[in-house]
Amino acid sequence: MPDIVEMHLKLLFDLDNLISDMEDESYKKIGFQIEEAASDALINKRNQLLRQLPRELGEIYEILKKRYRQAIAPVESEFCLGCFQKLPTQLAAQSQNILTCPNCGRILYWRPKN
Amino acid sequence: MNLASLLSKDRINLSLDAGKKDEVIKDLVYAIKKGAEAELIVSTLLKREELGSTGIGKGIAIPHCRSLAVEKLEIAVGRTKKPVNFNAIDKKPVSLLFLIIAPPQDPGNQYLITLGKVVQIAKEITKKNLIQKPETPEDFITMINDIEKGLAKRK
Ligand SMILES: [Zn+2]
Repeated sequence: MPDIVEMHLKLLFDLDNLISDMEDESYKKIGFQIEEAASDALINKRNQLLRQLPRELGEIYEILKKRYRQAIAPVESEFCLGCFQKLPTQLAAQSQNILTCPNCGRILYWRPKN
Repeated sequence: MNLASLLSKDRINLSLDAGKKDEVIKDLVYAIKKGAEAELIVSTLLKREELGSTGIGKGIAIPHCRSLAVEKLEIAVGRTKKPVNFNAIDKKPVSLLFLIIAPPQDPGNQYLITLGKVVQIAKEITKKNLIQKPETPEDFITMINDIEKGLAKRK
């Protein structure tokens, strides 16, 4: 996937996790302050990022988010960490494109090699 | 959960250059990740700060977020050479920062438990006026360990 798309997708994913934490009661209990107006701005920002994604990818993302809460799963040793199923070897090899897990459908993410 | 065991010497910088809030956050993140992954974490952290400062008052801030860029809970600590404006709750500048980054998938909710614990420890640090006390990263870890022992006894 092109770098810029990947960057937007990952930030969208991080922001969605931020939004869900912000609404989580056990997070609120810790006592960090959250400003109401700023949380609306954050939701706008996330929607804006979604619109910047290629349309099809954005649609898949939203469907997966509804289904699983987390639409993206990392790949580790050829396993999808969303559903813990082994991925076909040829899939793992061509990690340059936007790929989804053949089992659970989540958008797959390969961690950069250190 | 033992915070001292999650700290590592090479991620405790007790003479962090003071600068703008964003720069200090960035310096801390780069102790954990580099390149595009670090930039993603910084972007997410800055969005978190826009929701409300994680400067909890009395000179301590706890910037935190979940990010796809990490595989496990990561912590870095920084103490700035000079206090930094962090738009903290009490408007006081910050000199001690605990950076906490958790992966999106977080079994056992280690992230929120750790955050809660760090807030508790931070309050002890300010109450006992310990921000400037540790001279080395080893001292810092010992201090955290002692505070945790004290908190455990109180229960
Ligand atoms: Zn899967």
